[in-house]
Amino acid sequence: MMGSVTDDEVIRKRLLIDGDGAGDDRRINLLLKTVTKWCNSSGAPDESFTQYQRMLGTLAQCEFSLGKTQMVYDMNLREMENYGKIYTNIEQNITSAHQKITECKKEILRAKRVRKNRQEYDALAKVIQHHPNRHETLKQLEALDKELQQLSTIKENVDAKLELRKKQFHVLLSTIQELQQTLENDEKLDIDESNQQSPQESTE
Amino acid sequence: MKTHILVQKHAFCNPSLTIKTKQQVYANSKLLTSFPTMPGAMTSYSRAPQVDRRTMGSVELLHMSVFSQSFSPCGRFLAAGNNYGEIGIFSLCAALSPDGSDTSRKPVLTFPAHDGPVFCLESFGGQLLSAGNGSVSAWNWGDLIKKNVKAAWTKRPEYKGGMEIPEINAMVANPRDNSLVFGGGDNNIHVLDLEHGVFKAVFEGHSDYIHCLSAREREGEILSGGEDGTVRMWDCRTSECIHRVDVHKYQKCARPQFGKWISCLTTDSDWMLCGGGPFLSLWHLRSLTPTSVFTLSGCQRRALFYQDMILAVGQGATVSHCLLGGQVKAQIPCTPNNVNSLALNTNSTEHQVLTVAGSSPHVDVFTNVSYRAFSLHF
Repeated sequence: MMGSVTDDEVIRKRLLIDGDGAGDDRRINLLLKTVTKWCNSSGAPDESFTQYQRMLGTLAQCEFSLGKTQMVYDMNLREMENYGKIYTNIEQNITSAHQKITECKKEILRAKRVRKNRQEYDALAKVIQHHPNRHETLKQLEALDKELQQLSTIKENVDAKLELRKKQFHVLLSTIQELQQTLENDEKLDIDESNQQSPQESTE
Repeated sequence: MKTHILVQKHAFCNPSLTIKTKQQVYANSKLLTSFPTMPGAMTSYSRAPQVDRRTMGSVELLHMSVFSQSFSPCGRFLAAGNNYGEIGIFSLCAALSPDGSDTSRKPVLTFPAHDGPVFCLESFGGQLLSAGNGSVSAWNWGDLIKKNVKAAWTKRPEYKGGMEIPEINAMVANPRDNSLVFGGGDNNIHVLDLEHGVFKAVFEGHSDYIHCLSAREREGEILSGGEDGTVRMWDCRTSECIHRVDVHKYQKCARPQFGKWISCLTTDSDWMLCGGGPFLSLWHLRSLTPTSVFTLSGCQRRALFYQDMILAVGQGATVSHCLLGGQVKAQIPCTPNNVNSLALNTNSTEHQVLTVAGSSPHVDVFTNVSYRAFSLHF
């Protein structure tokens, strides 16, 4: 059973390396056959020399392709490393981009809130514009206050004057009445006196 | 093709009409009934056509509308509720994976949740809360992922007066005090305390039914928009209406040809987006003044603040991208003709998608907000 497994492995490996039979594998097999033929040949030294040269050539070709494959293998290893580095680099970029996106989203929410506040202020400002200016209203109020004060002082003066005149008239009228009383009293006294004198004269 | 459909006879439904036209009466978005503001119009949705899931034919699929969507807390699943009262759970991992195919875009689980359309879905505290015909149900996400369909609880608030059960149009979870706020056809907003399971408060004040709700988390307020055209701000603790804005009274927002109803409301504590009959407009809440008006041609149903933009959907098969200044930057086409719901998956970083659903059995998935990637199919 072990033998069949390794056989499969061997077959697979050989197919992988050179499946179509038109490359290095064929060359090596050919070289092997040529070597055995050349060893067993007893031909002319010229022919064997050319055969020998040909064999060396084939060997050189095999060595050349070996060197080439080795270099390709090294190159692949280095490419793998390179790609690994690029891959980690891109991953880092992706995570930082994600972070930037979340930051920007937060920023946009903040900006929207600010915008909403600004719009609210604008809406209120529109309403406020309809009302008159506060300074003007205050000035109007002050002017009205002053007028009010002036008018009240005038009223007070007029009232005081009225009181004074009333009192003066009162004094005048009461003096007149007293004088009238006194004159009446004097008249009465005079009449009484004259009445008293006349009965005295009649009795004498 | 067998179709099992039980059609509710209503006063305005002519019995001599063919089956197809009767389905059309029950079909498609709430938007169509909001135009003439008839309170009676909403009762057409209190009984959805009862469809046997096994024999859902192509006609039912044609008339399917998806009203609501919600993502699971892990962000891997999407729940969508449709007008047949079913909730479908889609797996986002499977749909978004590189080898996603048609089967991975179908729901992994579909179950009947309510007997009316499922108008609102919300994921809160590990549970999926769904609201439809007057009651709110909760389903554990863990159970749903394991395909175990059993509601954790179902609650219904005390509705005063009338024999009709009002539908719940809008629902929002308030994480501040762990409560669920929902409002609908009875013009009131009910607050359910999720910790104790009791109804804490009722905000009364709207004179017509409520379309949309939004929670202003920083100040602990709830904003509600309704058919009566007002956007009201409610304080959660005192249940008082703090402010009231009549959007249609502002000249630059009003669109009298569409009406005064508000169907779209979103807030991010400082600013508010509201729209519907009037133009979609951006309001500064501290001063209660409209700062920008977006001239989009249809009536908008949903809007979202996304980064520095506003995404708005509604009438028209587009998702509009607008800037805060009032400019419409882009209009991205999508499959449904009228879009009812827009959801952004903020629960997961790897499945950050925008999903859009409306009057179509397809739910569009946008992986990048600028274009539609693919559609999930009921």
